[in-house]
Amino acid sequence: MIIKGKKYRYGIHVKDRKELCREKPIETMPAPEIVKISVSQHIGAPAIPVVNAGDAVVKGQLIAEASGAVSANVYSGVCGTVTGIEEIVNPMGLKQKYIVIKNDFRTDEVFLPNMESFDDKSIIERVRQAGIVGLGGAGFPTAVKLTPKNRLDTLVVNGAECEPYLNCDYRLMLEHPDEIVKGINYLAAALNVKNVVVGIEKNKPEAVRAFSERGMKVVELQKQYPMGSEKQLIYCCTGRKVPVGKMPFDVGVCVQNIKTLYAAYEAVERNKPLTEIVMTVSGDGIAEAKNLKVTIGTPFADIAAFCGGEKEGVVKYVAGGPMMGKNLVDLNQYARKTDSGLLFLTQKEACLDEPTNCINCGKCAKNCPMRLMPMYIELFTLAGDYQKAAKYGAANCIECGSCAYNCPAKRPLVQSIAFCKAKLKEKK
Amino acid sequence: MTDELRFYSNSPHAKGNNSTRKIMLNVCLALLPACVTGCVFFGWKALLVIVLSAASAVASEIVFLLIMKKPFSKIMKEFDFSSLVTGLLLAMCLSAQVKWYVPVLSAIFAVIVVKMLFGGTGKNLVNPAITGRVFAFLSFGAIMYGENAYAQPFTGEILTGATSLTGLLQEGAMPNNLDLLLGNVAGCIGETCKIALIAGGLYLVIRGILDWRWPVIYIAVTGLVSVALNSFDFNYFLPSILGGGLMLGAIFMATDYTTTPDTTWGNVLYFVLLGAVTAVLRYFAKIEIVSFAILLMNLLVPLIDKCIVNRPFGYVRAKKAKEAK
Repeated sequence: MIIKGKKYRYGIHVKDRKELCREKPIETMPAPEIVKISVSQHIGAPAIPVVNAGDAVVKGQLIAEASGAVSANVYSGVCGTVTGIEEIVNPMGLKQKYIVIKNDFRTDEVFLPNMESFDDKSIIERVRQAGIVGLGGAGFPTAVKLTPKNRLDTLVVNGAECEPYLNCDYRLMLEHPDEIVKGINYLAAALNVKNVVVGIEKNKPEAVRAFSERGMKVVELQKQYPMGSEKQLIYCCTGRKVPVGKMPFDVGVCVQNIKTLYAAYEAVERNKPLTEIVMTVSGDGIAEAKNLKVTIGTPFADIAAFCGGEKEGVVKYVAGGPMMGKNLVDLNQYARKTDSGLLFLTQKEACLDEPTNCINCGKCAKNCPMRLMPMYIELFTLAGDYQKAAKYGAANCIECGSCAYNCPAKRPLVQSIAFCKAKLKEKK
Repeated sequence: MTDELRFYSNSPHAKGNNSTRKIMLNVCLALLPACVTGCVFFGWKALLVIVLSAASAVASEIVFLLIMKKPFSKIMKEFDFSSLVTGLLLAMCLSAQVKWYVPVLSAIFAVIVVKMLFGGTGKNLVNPAITGRVFAFLSFGAIMYGENAYAQPFTGEILTGATSLTGLLQEGAMPNNLDLLLGNVAGCIGETCKIALIAGGLYLVIRGILDWRWPVIYIAVTGLVSVALNSFDFNYFLPSILGGGLMLGAIFMATDYTTTPDTTWGNVLYFVLLGAVTAVLRYFAKIEIVSFAILLMNLLVPLIDKCIVNRPFGYVRAKKAKEAK
């Protein structure tokens, strides 16, 4: 069944550049010699390492345990020896513990125990055990999301993938639709909801067809950025507006990403913990754009080498999509659960223009999907008046980048708003 | 990647390809038909006014920045053509018969006093070109009569009586609407040929620079209020929207980004008020008053922006929120 999504007037049209690797099947990258696995790949408390230097580990073994309710387990994706626990600066600029494992290329693998029953409690327990977090980018532990305070009635599957360049969700939907449908059914059972809608942008007709053929209720969304943002997606799929400052569960909706559902399927049916992720390697600065399945902890430098190495003229490395991804200092970073892309941008793609005066054209306010007024937030943030900036909605910003994308004066609007948000949080 | 190439920034890492310079160049292009028809109708004198006005506007911006000790290469790199737009627009609303120093002094005033002293592009409170025109009107008194009077197109004959619009306003003489549309009347260089202005406006709409709703609201409200003031005589509708500088003001001047409100409803309020003010002032002052109306309303923009702001997506009214608790 295909339904037309509700129209959403705000947001922007971006050059999506998905054609770079749209037709390329997901390729499995062999595990590298050394993996460095972060213990903090999610929102919440970092996991606590349960292995020490010198320990032998096998693929699928628990190496760091969740600490507290909002946290997630971490598993090893390779067999080998732990050589130590290092402190490395992550893409956010924070120092985090990374467990370093030297791969000995054995093919042993351990699995989670077989599930005895498939009721809601045991599915949630399995999702928690497998260390599954929101793989769309936020990294919020999925098990916590599956145990909301109030009764939910709808599960919205996020297959919008509105970020330019990225194709990993799309390829997964094409290559593993049955598995994803099973994952959807498991999570719907865990949440006790009957109503499941799959939101897919209409520039992916094959994916829309694949899911409607399998009896899912597919909502065909207009092609617009940021369609995959939670609140906008819920509005377009169900017509419900999440009130300011509230969460999706307040309107009875849970949103899950395609990759999360695939991971849930693997954990529930194949007893596999989360040790591999699918990511898109793209950009004009890489020899061959690819969709890859990589082991968590793989160095980005190895990924670049696997894709033929970077070309000349790269000015920016980006982890994630170009609209919301993080700028990397160098390739000394390691694949984490939430990474969905690694981009090598050349000067032509990455805008390096210097900001000029705001000409008050109002394009940012016109495009803002949250209906904020970025020009005033920036103005007051630069003046140091954060309370006034908050009046124009600074705290509601989702940092999607719609304002800065179309700014003719190239103002760094997102940066100012993010700074203002941090300052407001500090005050609280 | 080598170190010289390396670049760090916050997201987004991809950006659209519009820039201030592109927008301003497109506005210049959109003004081209009006410039050409002006030169055709009013001859070399019109061309002289356009060149003088544009050149002195651009030169005064560069000289001002040089005085502010900005290196020349940087000025050239950041030059966004907004002063060229100001110069062209100013020439559009001057008579072709003005003395050579009128466009020069007005352009210098418009660029330096109205724009640069407030901080350059985007920082001006009022539209520089409009203020330049008002400056010319007040300082050199006779733009309409005397030695700076309007000339008839093609013949160059100096107009001694009223223009078509002032004739309508003062004596109730109905002008020929087709002549008004084609520009076969006495008037300023750029504002007589309405077809050229509409063509420029359409170009801007197609390029996504101009929102068609705003000029339409402004022109329609002016026309309707004029009709209402003349005891609902609908014969007044076409002459009042085609006469004078309304088209030029509505398409190119009132819609200037910097001096319009930022929200949709703010813009609706602004253009409705602007239309009403224009019609009422025209009715009572009996002269062409579009530039004064725009200048007046420009000053109200900060107030409108303060009162009308967007509500965030999922906004809950304060009262309702209390009930929910």
